[in-house]
Amino acid sequence: MKNKNPKPQHTKSNESTIHFKGTFIAVMLLGVIMVASWFGVYALFLSR
Amino acid sequence: MAFMYVTFTSLLVGGLMGLLQTFVRSGKYTLPFGIDYYTILTVHGVILGLVMTTFFIIGFQFSLMGKTVGLTDKQRKAAWWSFWIMLAGTIMASVMVLTGQASVLYTFYAPLRAHPVFYFGLALVIIGSWIAVFINFRQLYLWRKANKGQKSPLLAYMVTINMIMWVIASLGVAVSVLVLFIPWSLGYTATINVLLSRTLFWYFGHPLVYFWLLPAYMAWYAIIPKIIGGKILSDSLARLAFILLLLFSIPVGFHHQLTEPGIDATWKFIQVVLTFMVVIPTLMTAFSIFATFEATGRKKGYTTLFGWFRKLPWKDVRFLAPFIGMVAFIPGGAGGIINASHQMNALIHNTIWVTGHFHLTAAMTSVLTFFGITYWLVPHLTGRRLTPRLNKLGIIQSLTWTVGMLIMSTAMHIQGLLGGPRRSNFSEYAGGAQVDTWISYQMAQESADRFSSLPSS
Ligand code: HEM
Ligand SMILES: [Cu+2]
Repeated sequence: MKNKNPKPQHTKSNESTIHFKGTFIAVMLLGVIMVASWFGVYALFLSR
Repeated sequence: MAFMYVTFTSLLVGGLMGLLQTFVRSGKYTLPFGIDYYTILTVHGVILGLVMTTFFIIGFQFSLMGKTVGLTDKQRKAAWWSFWIMLAGTIMASVMVLTGQASVLYTFYAPLRAHPVFYFGLALVIIGSWIAVFINFRQLYLWRKANKGQKSPLLAYMVTINMIMWVIASLGVAVSVLVLFIPWSLGYTATINVLLSRTLFWYFGHPLVYFWLLPAYMAWYAIIPKIIGGKILSDSLARLAFILLLLFSIPVGFHHQLTEPGIDATWKFIQVVLTFMVVIPTLMTAFSIFATFEATGRKKGYTTLFGWFRKLPWKDVRFLAPFIGMVAFIPGGAGGIINASHQMNALIHNTIWVTGHFHLTAAMTSVLTFFGITYWLVPHLTGRRLTPRLNKLGIIQSLTWTVGMLIMSTAMHIQGLLGGPRRSNFSEYAGGAQVDTWISYQMAQESADRFSSLPSS
C-alpha cells in the first residue's frame, strides 16, 4: 500500500549494503549465555 | 494546551520520584525503630513495584501519546482525574501499610488479611489507571479518524498495546480484590478461596512485569536510536514484537504457581510452553537493538567488527543508563527461563534467587531505562537542558545504582541456589541487605540532587 512512497526502497538498499556480522555474533552469544546458564542450573538440579 | 500538558506530565513524573525517595528513605530510616520487617518489605514492594512503576509508566505514556497523536483539553482534564484517583488510592493503601495494618507484602496472598481500606485503595489505583487507558485509546482513535489510512505512529501503537495488556491483566486483580478480598476483609464472607485468589493475582502479576518492561522496550526501539543518532532497524519488526509480547503475556501466570498443588500439571505444562515463547520477541528485540547500533556505527564509518560498539555515546547518561538496563536483561531473562522450567523451578522457588531475578529485570532493566527516559523526558517537558554537569551526576547515579544492584543480585542468586529463603527476616543476606540500604540511600540522595539542581540549570 505504502510503496508509492520511495522512502522504504531507499532504506532497503541502504541496509543491504551494511554488514551485520557484529550483530549476528552478539545475538549468538546471547543464545549461548542462555543455554549455558540453563544447563548450569540443570546440572545442579540433577545433582540434588 | 501544550503548557498544561507539560505541567501535568512533569508533575506526574516528579511526584513519582518524590514518592520513591520519601518512601525509600523512610523505609530505611524507620527500620531501626522497632518497626516490623514485613511492614517495611510491604512498603518496598507496594510502593516500588506497584505504585512507582504505574505512575511513571502512565505519565510517560501520556507524554508519548501527547507528542505523537495529541491530547485535547478534555482528555487532559480526564487525565488529571486518573492521576488524583490513583493518588488517593495510593495514599489509602500506604497509610494502611505504614500503620502496620496491611503487612501482607505486595502479592497480598490470602490468608494474610489486610485492613479493608488497603484493598479499596488498590481498587482505586486500578480504576484510576483504567481512566488513563480509556484516554489513551481515545487519543489514538481521534488521531486515526483525522488521519485516515495512515499508519499510526510507532510509539502510540506501542502505548496502546501496553494498555490493552494492562486492561486484560488488571481485570484479574480487580475481580480478586472486589469479589474475594473486600467482602472477606469486611467480614461478609467467612473464608476465602486461596487458590483462586492467587491464580487471579498471577493472571495479573505476570503481565504486570511485562507492563514494566514494554515502556523500556519503547525507549529501546524508538528513543535510543534518536539518542545515538541512528534510526530504528525496522518499524514492522518492533510492532510484531509488541504483538507477540501481548499474546504471550496473558496465559502464563501459572509459572509463578508451579509448586501450587491445586493446579493440574497439564495446565502448568501448557503455560510453561507459552512462557518460553517469549524468547522469540525478546531475541527479536535484542537483534534489532544490536543491528541499530551496528548500522548507526557503520554509517559513521566504523569498519572493524566491533568498532561500532566502542563508539556508542557512552558518556551520555540518556544512553548509558538504558544500555546497562539492556545488559542486565541478559542474565535477567536467562534466569527467567530457568525459573519457568517446570521441574527446575523447585530449585529456586521461594528462595532469594527470585528476588535476585526481579531486581535484575525490574530494578535494573526497567528502572535504569526509566532513569534514562527521565533524563531525556524532563528536559523535554520543562524546556530545560541536561547540562554537562547534570549529565555527569546522572552517570554517577546510574553507576552507583548498577554497582549496588549487581552486588546485591549476584549475592541473592548464589544464596538462592544454596537454598536461602526469600521474604524472611532471619536469614543471612550474604551482604545483600547492607548493600540494599546503601544503594537506596545513595539513590535517594542522587536523585534528590538531580531534581533539586534541575531548576537551577
Ligand atoms: C525473560 C522473561 C522472563 C521470564 C521467563 C520470567 C520468569 C519468571 C518466573 C518463572 C518467576 C517465578 C519464580 C518463582 O517464584 O518460582 C518470576 C518471578 C518474577 N519475575 Fe520474572 N521472568 C521474566 C522477566 C521478568 C521481567 C522483565 C520482570 C520485570 C520487569 C520480571 C519480574 C519478576 C518478578 C517481580 C518476580 C517475582 C514475583 C514474586 O514476588 O513472586 N521478570 N519470573
Ligand atoms: Cu512471570
